[in-house]
Amino acid sequence: MDVLIILVPYILRGLKITLSVTAVALSSGLIFGCILAILRVYGGKWLSRAITVYTTVIRALPHILLLLIIYFMIARVIDLTPFWAGSLALAIISSAYQAEIIRGAIQSVPTGQMIAARSIGMSQFRAIWHVVLPQAFRHAIPPWSNEAAIVIKDSSLVYVLGVPEILRQAQYYSARTYQPFLAYITVAVIYFMLTFLTNRGLDALERRVHIPA
Amino acid sequence: MTFLAYLQIAIPKLAEGLLITFRVSLICLGIGVLIGFPAALARVYGPKWLRIIVTGYIEILRGTPVLVQLFLVYYGLPQFGLTLTAFSSAYIALGFNSSAYQAEYFRGAIQAISGGQMMAARSIGMSRIQAIRYVIIPQAFRFAIPAWSNEVVAMIKITSIVYLIAVPEMLYVAKELMAKYFNPFQTYITVGVIYLLVIAIMSIILNRLEKRLTIPGLDLAKRSSA
Amino acid sequence: MDNHNLKTIVKLEDIHKAYGDVEVLKGITMEVTEGEVVVLVGPSGTGKSTLLRCINQLTIPDRGRVWLEEIELTDHKTDIDAARRHIGMVFQDFNLFNHLTALGNVTLGLTRVLGMHKEEAHQKAMQELERVGLEDKWMNYPGQLSGGQKQRVAIARSLAMDPVVMLFDEPTSALDPELIGEVLLVMKDLALGGMTMVCVTHEIGFAREVASRIVFMEHGVIAESGTPEKMLKNPDLPRTKQFLGKISDLH
Repeated sequence: MDVLIILVPYILRGLKITLSVTAVALSSGLIFGCILAILRVYGGKWLSRAITVYTTVIRALPHILLLLIIYFMIARVIDLTPFWAGSLALAIISSAYQAEIIRGAIQSVPTGQMIAARSIGMSQFRAIWHVVLPQAFRHAIPPWSNEAAIVIKDSSLVYVLGVPEILRQAQYYSARTYQPFLAYITVAVIYFMLTFLTNRGLDALERRVHIPA
Repeated sequence: MTFLAYLQIAIPKLAEGLLITFRVSLICLGIGVLIGFPAALARVYGPKWLRIIVTGYIEILRGTPVLVQLFLVYYGLPQFGLTLTAFSSAYIALGFNSSAYQAEYFRGAIQAISGGQMMAARSIGMSRIQAIRYVIIPQAFRFAIPAWSNEVVAMIKITSIVYLIAVPEMLYVAKELMAKYFNPFQTYITVGVIYLLVIAIMSIILNRLEKRLTIPGLDLAKRSSA
Repeated sequence: MDNHNLKTIVKLEDIHKAYGDVEVLKGITMEVTEGEVVVLVGPSGTGKSTLLRCINQLTIPDRGRVWLEEIELTDHKTDIDAARRHIGMVFQDFNLFNHLTALGNVTLGLTRVLGMHKEEAHQKAMQELERVGLEDKWMNYPGQLSGGQKQRVAIARSLAMDPVVMLFDEPTSALDPELIGEVLLVMKDLALGGMTMVCVTHEIGFAREVASRIVFMEHGVIAESGTPEKMLKNPDLPRTKQFLGKISDLH
């Protein structure tokens, strides 16, 4: 069918954007989230509180609202394309959730580990890097896998900023061919494959780094 | 106009939108339980073919964005002659979506309880169905309350996306106000604050409810069978 | 003990059970007559609990047959739910119904399984709670009870169904030492009252006092069985002596 053939280029164009948005959001979210988590756990009373307030507020608000607020605020300051504004907004949102995940993972490492590391002369930074984080990493994988899937799905939200990711492409396609169902089903299938593969991949990673108990 | 003057106009309108938000949330949560709880039971106790179908349903709904599901219902179904109103589309899309997540919470609760409780119930001569009805289900509901509280908060947040199909919940009203008064910054902040207040109050209420519904003496966080 | 006129309550014939590659029960044949108190002992993992669960078919054996009085439980035409009303089981982890009070735990079987009216069930349940010494805890939830109290409620729950045999799966293993006594007391009373019992336990003192027979299981088979006097003082196998000697010291 012609309709199917026309669909492919739309989807491919959109897929590239979707993947890019997800990649930027997830990786920036990871870096920023790690920093937030470490500052929260090791940063002293006031810093810890400030960060807690920040992450709590971000996690309490609807993602689409945050996207619009951050886009609007960034657009006032720097001239960013919708793609970058959207990706960074998702990164900020995701970093709050990732900070919680990483914090939980760090705090699940027994405090004795840090004490032992310091007692053999490691600086706090070294102790965190070589002793605490490797162990926390393993605990973080399952919830992080969940967050990765969420970011993949949230990338559909940048639709509202006009970013031409696959959902927006599906809309263009259905406007042209009057086949909305086909368009959106295809998008759904692609998202499903993305989340499915990501979860499987991270499950495999979890098994590989598993420390025999 | 001053911010205060603006608020006097905006807040009543936003309040109306908030009521719609609550209405949509409530109905979708309800659909979520009605479908999700039986789905969880099917997944734990059902025959293999049923388990596969239900698992597929859950994985697909959880693996795709709710926005896509919404568009599929609102824009896609009319292609087959099934044209639903924006509200109905919202109820169906968000309701079914919620049911998939709720099914997982309930499944976790059922499985945590199941082992020893099922054995004890069978040992006094109850059939499987009796055991599920009188022993497993009453406990599963209470066990799932913390997770369900999270779902309530999540639902209030998610309903905001239905502004895209012109359901007049709070974000939609906010957009209308912005179009009229050209003050996105003020409006967004106001809406943000309202959401924060709503979620905060909701969390406190749910917490109280949790404590009241707890089985006396049983720490829901502890998963012992004793 | 004079067995001539006493009926066989439980009969196990050549019971086999494997989990994956591991064969846990390798051919157990056993009979329990009315009023007997059989105590099963043996190292952990030798299938004692599995055997117990085979009796009331909570675990289905791979091979072999089980009878409750004249009814063959392993026959798939048998209504196993109905049969289980006559077998009581007490678990190591109590498994009380957490959402019900002590009274509720005991009445649930009476009302929902036996179809008793609420008032009748109430009365009977209070009787059973009295029997185990917990009539004043009837309105407490399991979460509000101590381990020993929980186990006694569990015993009352099973007794309320008027079983012909009571199965005890390490009933005191999960209890703090000072709470074990109250449960053993109830079990002793039951035994002295003529209840047919099969108990998996390490409590040798209990066995010494009320057991009709001690059965020593190891490697999935019955290694030896006999009266408490024989098994504890002068068993046939040195391994029996070694094992019973060890747990005798501990308990």
